Amino acid sequence: MSGRLKQFFSQRGMRKLRQDKMAMGALFVIGCYLILALFVVAHLPSPEAVVMRVGPDNIPGVFGTQTAEKRLSDAEFRLEALQRAVRTNDPETSLAEFRMGDLRILAGTPKAVESRIEGGWKAFEAVAVYDDIEAEAVALELLENLESEVAALFSPPTGFTALASFLRLSLGTDRQGRSIALRAIYSTKVAVQIGMVAALISVLIGTLLGAAAGYFGGWVDHLVVWLYSIFSSIPWIVMLMVLASMFRGSRFDGGLIPVYAAFCMSFWISPCRVIRGEVMKLKELEYVQAASAIGFGHLRILLRHVIPNTAHLMFINFSLLFIGAIKAEVILSFLGLGVKDEPSWGVMINHAKAEVLNGFFWQIGAATAFMLVLVLAFNILSDALQDAFDPKHV
Amino acid sequence: MWSYTARRLLYNIPVYLGIVLLLMLALRVNDPANAFLGKNANPEDLLLIKERLGLDRPFLVQYFDLLKSVFSLDFGTYSWANEGITVGRMLRESVVPSLSITLPALILTSTVSITIALISAFFRGRRIDRALMVLAVVGMSVSFLVYIVFGQYFGAYLLTRETGYSFFAIGGYESGLANWPYYCLLPVLISSLVAMGYDTRFYRAVMVEESGRDYIVTATAKGASKRKVMFVHMLKNAMIPIITRIMTTLPFLIMGSLLLEVYFNIPGMGRVLYKAIQEQDFPVIQIFVAIFAGLFILSNILTDVLYALVDPRVRLS
Amino acid sequence: MSSKALLEVRDLVMHFPVRGGVLNRVLRRVHAVNGVSFAVQRGEVLGLVGESGCGKSTLGKCLIRLLEPTSGSVLHDGSELVGLKHGGLMKHRRKMQMIFQDPYSSLNPRLSVRETLREVALFHGVAMPHGLDAYIAHLIERVGLRAEAADKFPHEFSGGQRQRIGIARALACEPEFLVADEPVSALDVSIQAQVLNLLMDLKEEFGLTVVFISHDLKVIEHFCDRVLVMYLGSIVEEIDCTQLHAEARHPYTRALLGANPINDPADRRPLTVLQGDVPSPFELPPGCAFAGRCPVVEERCHQERPTLSERSAGHSVACLLD
Repeated sequence: MSGRLKQFFSQRGMRKLRQDKMAMGALFVIGCYLILALFVVAHLPSPEAVVMRVGPDNIPGVFGTQTAEKRLSDAEFRLEALQRAVRTNDPETSLAEFRMGDLRILAGTPKAVESRIEGGWKAFEAVAVYDDIEAEAVALELLENLESEVAALFSPPTGFTALASFLRLSLGTDRQGRSIALRAIYSTKVAVQIGMVAALISVLIGTLLGAAAGYFGGWVDHLVVWLYSIFSSIPWIVMLMVLASMFRGSRFDGGLIPVYAAFCMSFWISPCRVIRGEVMKLKELEYVQAASAIGFGHLRILLRHVIPNTAHLMFINFSLLFIGAIKAEVILSFLGLGVKDEPSWGVMINHAKAEVLNGFFWQIGAATAFMLVLVLAFNILSDALQDAFDPKHV
Repeated sequence: MWSYTARRLLYNIPVYLGIVLLLMLALRVNDPANAFLGKNANPEDLLLIKERLGLDRPFLVQYFDLLKSVFSLDFGTYSWANEGITVGRMLRESVVPSLSITLPALILTSTVSITIALISAFFRGRRIDRALMVLAVVGMSVSFLVYIVFGQYFGAYLLTRETGYSFFAIGGYESGLANWPYYCLLPVLISSLVAMGYDTRFYRAVMVEESGRDYIVTATAKGASKRKVMFVHMLKNAMIPIITRIMTTLPFLIMGSLLLEVYFNIPGMGRVLYKAIQEQDFPVIQIFVAIFAGLFILSNILTDVLYALVDPRVRLS
Repeated sequence: MSSKALLEVRDLVMHFPVRGGVLNRVLRRVHAVNGVSFAVQRGEVLGLVGESGCGKSTLGKCLIRLLEPTSGSVLHDGSELVGLKHGGLMKHRRKMQMIFQDPYSSLNPRLSVRETLREVALFHGVAMPHGLDAYIAHLIERVGLRAEAADKFPHEFSGGQRQRIGIARALACEPEFLVADEPVSALDVSIQAQVLNLLMDLKEEFGLTVVFISHDLKVIEHFCDRVLVMYLGSIVEEIDCTQLHAEARHPYTRALLGANPINDPADRRPLTVLQGDVPSPFELPPGCAFAGRCPVVEERCHQERPTLSERSAGHSVACLLD
């Protein structure tokens, strides 16, 4: 077994690949994403964490600034939240249990907290009188004063919680105050999941059908070509929408099964074509004839001699389809057909549409950036794979 | 030559029949009348609607009926969701809006991509080539939707806000040449931008491969200038696969860019189909998809025939 | 030599249909092998010589049922091979193997030598799993490679070495009959001799019967007992190699002999150069296939097709002019 692995990695193509630094870099990046996805599977962040409010809406994180008006309304938001916590039937418990992200209220009796909140409101009033806060230095000073008063109402996070809090807020929050950073990380798992399933199944189906068509020829070939001609005549969006309407009302509705089905139905064509062409060439090679002469049956020849020699094409197609699936998922979310219960980059971008008009780019920026790096890595990888193994590619 | 064309036509007929079969089966998995009228429909309405479309007839009859309707271009069936409007009319009215986006987009993308690819291939290996290709790959890695969102933000929203004059509409559509730039130019630009990454890389690869051929070496050895070699010798031959590829995207012209149409509210074929699927407007779905598939097959045949005209080896296969 | 032939071929015909046209009709046929009959005696080395496209490779493949002949019969030890399905062929397959021409495509690049040989040996139940490695090592050394070669992969070997591995593979199931399809044509001349000598040794040691296909008459002379000369799908002469130079009668055979320069500088015999082209295998001419290029052609050669007839013991010629 180790001999075969050694052989695999020392082959001419693999050597070329290993020497390609960009490709190795891309592979490393992909590895990082996979590890991230594994973290998510281990509930790090958990599905609850990504729908939890961690702060006011649409705050920027480390990459952006806010207008003064926004800062004002953020302060207002926090004050109101605190106020709600105090004015309950059981203020002591609700104060103790209050959370905003990782922030807790600074300890004290309900009365003490109330008076601090009063102070906060006074500071707020002082700023609110100005129409254009940024125009006047005094107003800005008052604003900063307000912010530090509000900050003083919370007990500062320490140690590990401080780090967690920083991470949570590092990329800001969306329209519902949820952590963009956590959602973007969580979406990694969704993307990897969709990409893996769609690409893997499509490559398997395409390879089996293409190999059968190329090897047996005759009616098998005609059948497979007929099939892929049919499926390639309908754009995948249309196929997906028709499938979604087919599944409506059944128990699969709203889940990912129609999505997977539509991807597989449109994606299997590309590997099928490629593998079919390659198998038609391989069939003529003498070692396949030798296998016949020895007496091996067709199945054995296909599985042991023919298909393994198309492995490089399978890999190339896999990475191309993976990219296709991730990008398609974004479009699906827009059309209302994609992932429904979990955040994904498509969901994030879709939500971010409205935010952009108000100048809040954090969500769309984060989702796009996460997606961009992964897709870019795969693009580089598939380029490198093609250069190494399939020199005649275009 | 004609036998080749005939062969291609004959060969594609079972394909088309297969598509229509698949389509019809898929749409009938959930009873269409039920799906359209919803859960609380009363039985009489159901029957009525079924009769209107002839859904109570046996499957084969419906199958041939649809085929007949497509081949005779008769689309008099009425849409379910839009009272009194035939599918034919919806079809006719939606073609122009779709084309007014996709056709200019195709022209724009092709010309720009081919130009950039030429530059890249000409300066192959140098910094500008590498820079362009990096740009292309990064461009390919960003989602279509992101381009649309930012395009709309900068082109329609921001531009209007800063200059006080609205160059581009945020959405909507009105026919007429004068209205075209306002409603359509932005989607066209966005569409071009998205496709450019893929196209440029492909065209560049074709050109590079062509440039490696022996006849180019001969031409260069003969003393022809690099410019002449590229534009006169190489380009002509490289155009064959390039044009073939452009032709394969033709059917998608008619369908319109579904995404753009839905986002910008442009009443093209894509958006009509999208709405029809959401509303479960059965006759519209059936006919639109059948038409589109038919156009696709026709364009494939056309491409094959054109290719055979150019490359005689193909005729013998 | 036993009286019963190991392999007997009767009226073997192999035509390949070429399809085309609107309805994928059969447009025409490639007449690769046209009614060939001969016998292979146990223990002999039978040569099959001819130009490219004369059908010798096709004939070789028909012999071991890599191809299904269009008509005719192939008897292996008296049993009919033509028409047998996969299951029935199995017991014959073990006894007949083939050595292929192109060393660069005759081995699966993904399998090591050991794996290639293992597969064959296990499949035919030649060696029990625990004796397998020893058997493989023995095979490898027997074809002249070092034992370390077992775990290497084809791309690590030269052409000549790969042919040796191909020979090992053919021998792995202990066959009694080998078809060697131009086994040395793709090798450098110096290596050719080595591989040929290896084949000769192996033939002696294992008592093999060999059908040796080549386009090079010198190699055939060196290696074979008898030779069949093929032209355009038919046998034109069947003769003992010892008598080849002296007794060859068919004009084509003589042309082949004449085309080989002799190693004697004093011999100034003019080389026979054949005029004209090989006729198309699609439309066979009505008369003798060689008529178009024959240096001693007569009018009747274009009308009448000659049949293979025995002139003396072990020597048959298909020519009208004798």
